[in-house]
Amino acid sequence: MKISFLLHNAYGIGGTITTTFNLAHALAERHEVEIVSVLRHRELPNFTLDPRVSLRPLVDLRQEKNHPLHLRPAGVFPRAEYRYGQYSELTDQRIAECLATIDADVVIGTRPGLNVHLALQAPEHVVRIGQEHLTLDNHPPRLRTTLRRAYRRLDALTTVTEADAAAYRRKMWLPGVRVEALPNSVPDPVLPAVDGSAKVVVAAGRLVPVKRYDLLIEAFAMVAAEHPDWQLRIYGKGEEHDRLRQLVMDLRLWNNVFLMGAAAPMEGEWVKGSIGAAASNFEPFGMTIVEAMRCGLPVVSTDCPYGPGEIIEDGVDGRLVPVGDRDALGAALLELVRDDEGRRRMGRAALRNARRFAPGPVVEQAERLFTETVSARRAGRPVVPERARMHRALVSQGFAARDAAFASASSALRMVRKGQR
Amino acid sequence: MSTEQTAEQSVDPRVGCVVEPDGRITFDLPPLPADGPQVLLRLRPKKGQPEKTLHALDLAPANDGRLRAVLGPQPVLEEGRWDVYLLPEPGSERQRLRPGLRDLRALVDGHLRDRQSPLAVRVPYVTKDGYLAVRAWLRPAHAEVGGIDITDRSMTVAARLHGASFQEGAAVHLRLRGGSGTVRPLEPRPAPDGRSFSFTVDHGELTAGTDAGSGVWDVFVRPAAQAPLIRVARLLDDLADRKEVFVHPAVTLGGAVLRPYYTVDNDLSVEVTKAG
Repeated sequence: MKISFLLHNAYGIGGTITTTFNLAHALAERHEVEIVSVLRHRELPNFTLDPRVSLRPLVDLRQEKNHPLHLRPAGVFPRAEYRYGQYSELTDQRIAECLATIDADVVIGTRPGLNVHLALQAPEHVVRIGQEHLTLDNHPPRLRTTLRRAYRRLDALTTVTEADAAAYRRKMWLPGVRVEALPNSVPDPVLPAVDGSAKVVVAAGRLVPVKRYDLLIEAFAMVAAEHPDWQLRIYGKGEEHDRLRQLVMDLRLWNNVFLMGAAAPMEGEWVKGSIGAAASNFEPFGMTIVEAMRCGLPVVSTDCPYGPGEIIEDGVDGRLVPVGDRDALGAALLELVRDDEGRRRMGRAALRNARRFAPGPVVEQAERLFTETVSARRAGRPVVPERARMHRALVSQGFAARDAAFASASSALRMVRKGQR
Repeated sequence: MSTEQTAEQSVDPRVGCVVEPDGRITFDLPPLPADGPQVLLRLRPKKGQPEKTLHALDLAPANDGRLRAVLGPQPVLEEGRWDVYLLPEPGSERQRLRPGLRDLRALVDGHLRDRQSPLAVRVPYVTKDGYLAVRAWLRPAHAEVGGIDITDRSMTVAARLHGASFQEGAAVHLRLRGGSGTVRPLEPRPAPDGRSFSFTVDHGELTAGTDAGSGVWDVFVRPAAQAPLIRVARLLDDLADRKEVFVHPAVTLGGAVLRPYYTVDNDLSVEVTKAG
């Protein structure tokens, strides 16, 4: 098969880029794989790309930032999409040209706006697969309304969790579209797994409010009070940095809690710890949880929507605690800090259980999805069986009406606000 | 894949490294079409100075076909920053190496192991411009900071001696940087083992003793009456650059602000500045 990924910007840093590169690398073993990057702003990608995967940028911002068409707003890329401001008539045109002439069997969109391009512009003979790395419930109603219309024209839609796949099946009527959870994959670690002896708790991610590092620091105060020889190391940078540092000072934790700055790759840092931690209010997947587990760390995480509960088995390979509950988070950390043998046992379980997120099994599933879809399309068969569509249609119509009402209400509100200015 | 990128990768191999508790470093490189390749360590000279100190380590193929070079306890690295190069073959041009994975887990609890004199520490790290380097310290003796407790009135530093032990006439010295070299002696409180100790800096006294109203006090310990001063520092873990990570609160007292901090060399100093 020839497989093309349509990516926002392969030259940046982020979970979608990492996971797309991982999947592309693994597929390149048996297929011809290409990554089409809508934007390019630097010479080389941050992550090393396997030489077997080709990379094709469409708009080079280093030369084309002030292209007359790039200064005009996009018409195809949906307005309600988060990245709308980075798209333009130029991206509309280049993506359309790229799709019209593409010689791939399967094209995979990697964000809502690109999935819309794919749905509307890919030629009939190409299999169209949309990937959602965010979640339906967190999309604004206006975007949901756009996607509801466009996604019907996809052959398949993948989410990163079962919970999100269920939301799409329930709340969107997508007849003939195969909706399936395809988790992100994490490459096999290169370094030996941890032995569970390091007195370090490790967390990693952007320092933004939703990650709740404030809660984690407060929870860790319980650990530091009883075990002053333990450290919490938080890797990442972001807008919360100064506030978190002040919190460390206020709680008198400067000997125990450290803001380490960004680290890439994280593997060398995970292996310095023996417990992973995540305190998010919301986590579409939870890539760092899988990364930590693949290095042999049990992870204590909030049981937030959607990822953590599908990754961690509470009490077996980590701990799940209620969202926003500082005391429960602190108690769960303390339990693992106190119990050397339990920590090691859970770490070994984490190592075993997280293998399902290795590129091998995830790629097998992706490959099965792609091949089955391609062969169904070639044989003129529907991509999903006919059964049980009617019931779903009725349920999803209710959600569609609600989103449409929200969307028009919020646009009316904007009009009113504009009038007031 | 553009050809320029493939070319970039081939001139830019990444070097991984593993550090043992004793400081032994194993460098790991992908197989290279080279004849007698070596890893070259260069002590970074001061600006405008010629480079003087180089160590070359032979790269030998391991069972997996990758190339390995070992930096054992010898040669002892002089204190400073050592840049890491690949020398593909004798006489060829050297290439600065980008970092691969660094396995430094053995260093994390390094403060728990007592060291002999001289103290030699090596921490591989990534330079600001993205290359692998090794930070080395080499000192006759060392005082490792454990924790610093800070209240409104004073700060108490807990530390441990390596390569020396406490005897009669011990003292902690705070020495004002630059100019007069003013020294404020403090009484250390050694533990019965003659290694661990603590001392307390009174904020009011230090502020009053800072004549110009602002200055930096470097912290030393003299373990015995006639013994040479030992710099109080934090060197025994995996962090080559501590200044922005181990940050302590500032205390305002009268018209002055005091703050203990780690220098770019991971040595402990106390900064006094005018408030406001």
